[in-house]
Amino acid sequence: MFNPTDIIDLLAANVRQTRNPFGVRPSRFNTWWRGLSGFTRRPGDALLFTGLMYQAIPYINATTRYLERLEGSSWAGCLRWGRLVPASLRGRGLSVLTSGADRKKFNGILQTICRLLRQSEVNFFYHPEMDFYSGILLYDLGDQDGFVRHARFVARTLQLHGVRKVITVDPHTTYALKELYPRYTGASFEVQPYFSLLQCRGSERGNGKPPVVLHDPCFYGRYLELSEGPRRVLRDLGLEYVEVRNCGEFTSCCGGPAESVSPALNREILGRRAAELKAAAAPVVTFCPICLANLLKAGLPVEDLASLVGRYLAPEEK
Amino acid sequence: MALVDPDFAAELKAYGVDTALDCFNCGTCAAICPLNFEHFPRKMIRYVQVGAKQKILQQAQDLWRCLHCGLCTRTCPRQANPGELILGLRRYVLAQFRRA
Ligand code: SF4
Ligand code: SF4
Repeated sequence: MFNPTDIIDLLAANVRQTRNPFGVRPSRFNTWWRGLSGFTRRPGDALLFTGLMYQAIPYINATTRYLERLEGSSWAGCLRWGRLVPASLRGRGLSVLTSGADRKKFNGILQTICRLLRQSEVNFFYHPEMDFYSGILLYDLGDQDGFVRHARFVARTLQLHGVRKVITVDPHTTYALKELYPRYTGASFEVQPYFSLLQCRGSERGNGKPPVVLHDPCFYGRYLELSEGPRRVLRDLGLEYVEVRNCGEFTSCCGGPAESVSPALNREILGRRAAELKAAAAPVVTFCPICLANLLKAGLPVEDLASLVGRYLAPEEK
Repeated sequence: MALVDPDFAAELKAYGVDTALDCFNCGTCAAICPLNFEHFPRKMIRYVQVGAKQKILQQAQDLWRCLHCGLCTRTCPRQANPGELILGLRRYVLAQFRRA
């Protein structure tokens, strides 16, 4: 396990300098929307706010590969000096380590979500300059001051642009905007996860397909009690799903949150959850980028809810 | 021997740790916690209750093992909010380290 303060100081310095925990310029890694047809910046009723989480996965994977080698070695203590290197340099180094396949995969999920929203005739817009990392990792790690400072900046920017409604795509950002921002910044937005807006009735295209097993992320299952939303979408599409014993409110954590301070602990928790899901003997579907990346690491056949639903409801335009 | 600070629970209120005294030490949280680690989080809450500030600071690193998964909070029979208490303790410890 790393010294948590070394990790927190490094992440906090990155957030201060680049507004995200990786020290990478947003224009460098928030690229999923480029070249997407039907893309609208304004007008629109609700802002699609990705919180940069799907885009971050290639960077998280690259960081974890590096930390895994470092954990427990005599070099682990050197992390504390990392914050002395300018964020832009740290970020550039990290960018080199990310995998192109990862970037394509996770950007593709956001593009699918965009198509699904359009297909459901949701009135939304996307503006990359209004899409920020929520700061949730700083909150989770206990850096309250760093989180509040960043959250206030994000909330103020959205308010300045007259944003009142946001559509989110992951549980961590949803929790931050729905629960933490009103409490710590005084700013309230109408927050809805994308799957609650999908219209699938009358399009029972999944009939006869083999069932999938669901992995509920902790934040949707317990903190926000939103597990029913994805199930409704699957039912409306006629797709069968099976439940593991620890699901919904009582879902088991995949271990993702431990990644930044102890990749070894992450592996231990992940192994246990992977065994529970494996016992269901069906492909796994989840709706959180952190869970998705983590379960993929365990070698499970797993895909994102958006990818599955997209195949039936909004196939990619050729 | 550990020194006891009777004002510790009050000091922690500024960091959002305000339900520790609701805990009656049943251990449900430790039983359900996926960490399966040395009576965590119950042990930490007990330290707060008895004012064992030094124990918290000595074992501070363990606070960051918590996944913030919320299972303990969901199942606590006293609504003592153990998961949030651990988060509050992280804030407290981080503030102490930064001040040092
Ligand atoms: S479950 Fe609640 S009451 Fe029981 S030991 Fe844990 S915090 Fe205390
Ligand atoms: S929130 Fe932390 S202490 Fe509570 S059950 Fe999850 S890992 Fe254990």
